[in-house]
Amino acid sequence: MSQHIFRDYDNAIQHLQEDLLTMATLTRQNLEQAMQALLRGDTDLANTVIAADSDVDELERKVDQIGMEILVRFHPVATDLRLIITSMKISTNLERISDHAVGIAKRARKINQGQPMQEVQWLEPLYAQAYALLRDAMDSYTNHDSVLGQALHEKDRELDRLHKQLTRSLSSQLELANGRSAAWLHLIFIARSLERIGDLSVNIGEETVFLESAINIRHEYRKQPPENQPPSP
Amino acid sequence: MSPEASDKIEVRNLHFCYGLTCALKDLTFDIPQRQVTAFIGPSGCGKSTLLRCFNRMNDEIPGARVSSGSIHIGGVDIQHRSVDVVKLRREVGMVFQKSNPFPRSIFDNVAFGLQLHRGTNRSLLNQAVEEALISAALWDEVKDRLHESALALSGGQQQRLCIARSLAVKPSIILMDEPCSALDPIATAKVEDLIRTLRQQFTIIIVTHSMQQAARVSDLTAFFHLGELIEFSPTLKLFSNPAHKLTEAYLRGTFG
Repeated sequence: MSQHIFRDYDNAIQHLQEDLLTMATLTRQNLEQAMQALLRGDTDLANTVIAADSDVDELERKVDQIGMEILVRFHPVATDLRLIITSMKISTNLERISDHAVGIAKRARKINQGQPMQEVQWLEPLYAQAYALLRDAMDSYTNHDSVLGQALHEKDRELDRLHKQLTRSLSSQLELANGRSAAWLHLIFIARSLERIGDLSVNIGEETVFLESAINIRHEYRKQPPENQPPSP
Repeated sequence: MSPEASDKIEVRNLHFCYGLTCALKDLTFDIPQRQVTAFIGPSGCGKSTLLRCFNRMNDEIPGARVSSGSIHIGGVDIQHRSVDVVKLRREVGMVFQKSNPFPRSIFDNVAFGLQLHRGTNRSLLNQAVEEALISAALWDEVKDRLHESALALSGGQQQRLCIARSLAVKPSIILMDEPCSALDPIATAKVEDLIRTLRQQFTIIIVTHSMQQAARVSDLTAFFHLGELIEFSPTLKLFSNPAHKLTEAYLRGTFG
C-alpha cells in the first residue's frame, strides 16, 4: 500500500496490522495446542491454551483501541477506511476462534481424566479442515488475496459435510450409553467448535474480499451455486 | 529563560480584555513542554487571543491588556515589566495563518532573524540556515535555489519557509495560528507531518478551526467557548469521550 505524507498515520496502521497478525498467530497456536491436548491426551498442553487465551483477549482490546484512535485522529477513507473496519472485525472473529480453542482444551482436559479413548482420533479430519480454513483466511488477509478469501466457502461446505458425518457417528456412540456418555458429549461439542471455527474463518475471508474489492459477499454464498467465481478486484 | 530551561507554560486566573470587553475569563491550566497542544472553539472564543498572550503580541493592540492573572513560561512571569519582549519573541516563535515571507531570497528569509539576534558570521549563518530548512522539511526542495525569491515558492513551501524562519532563532515554543488554513490538502499534510516531527524538540501550540487537524496533530486539546476554557484533555480522550456536554455538542456539530 502506498505511503501517506503524514507518517503518524502509517505508523498507526502498521501497529494495527502487526497486532492483528500477532493475534492470528496466537489463535492458530491455541487451536493447534488444544487439539494436540485432545489427540495426544496432553493435559499440560490444555492448561497452556487456557492460560494463553488472555493474551488474545488483550490483543483484541488493543486492536479495537488502535482502530478507534485511527478513526478519531485520521478520519480514514477509501482503502484505509475498509482496512480499519475489517481489521477490527477480523480481530473479533479471531478472539472467538481462540475462545473455541479454550473450550476444546477444557473438554480435552475432562476427557483426559478418564480412560484413554482411541475415538478422539475421529476428530482429526475435521480439525485438519478447520485449521486449513483458518490458515487460508489469514493468508488471504495477509496476501491481499480476495480470490482465496472467497474460495473458503467451498472448504467450509466440506467442513460442514464432515461435521454432519462425525456428529452422526458420535451420536450413535452416545446412544449406546457405554458408560462414557459425558466423553461422547464432549467430543460432539468439540466437533461443533471446529465447525464454528470454519464459519468464523469464512467471515475473515469475506472481510478480506470486502477489504480488497469493496464488495460485500456476506450471507450470499449459500444462495449461489458452488462454481461461482469470485468478484474481480 | 534559555533553551535548556523548562518551557512549561503556566496560566493562572488569566483575564484578558479588549477595552471593556473581556475576551478571556479566569483561565487556569498548564501546557506541557515538547508536546503539541491544540486550541479549538468557535470564532470569538478567545483561542487566538490567548495564543498571542504567550509572546505578548497583544501588546501592539491599543486598549488590549491582561487585566488580572498571570502567564509563566519556564517559571518567568512574562507580563513582568523586566521581561524583554524581543527576547521573549525569540523564545516563543510564531507562524501565522497566511504565510508572510519577506520579498527577499529564501536564504535571507531564514537568515533575517539570526542576523537580527546573533550577528552575521557567514559560515555560522550558512549552517544555521541549512539546519532550519532541514528541520522545516524544506531543504531538499530549495537547496539549489537558496538565492531565488521566496515569493516564487508555492503556498505550502512559503509556510514551511516561515516555520524555518521561526526555527532558525532556536525558540523553545512555537505558536501556530491556523497555519494550514490557506493550504491545499497535500501541503497541509506536509506541514502536519512537520509539526509531529518538531514536537520532539519544541513545545507547539496550534490554533485551528479544523477539528480533524486538531485530532491528527495534537497530543492535548483545549476547547474554549466565550472566553472560558471548557475542557482540556488528551486529544484522544477529548475526541472520543468528552467530559463536558458543550464540548460534545461542538465536536458533533449540534452546537447552538
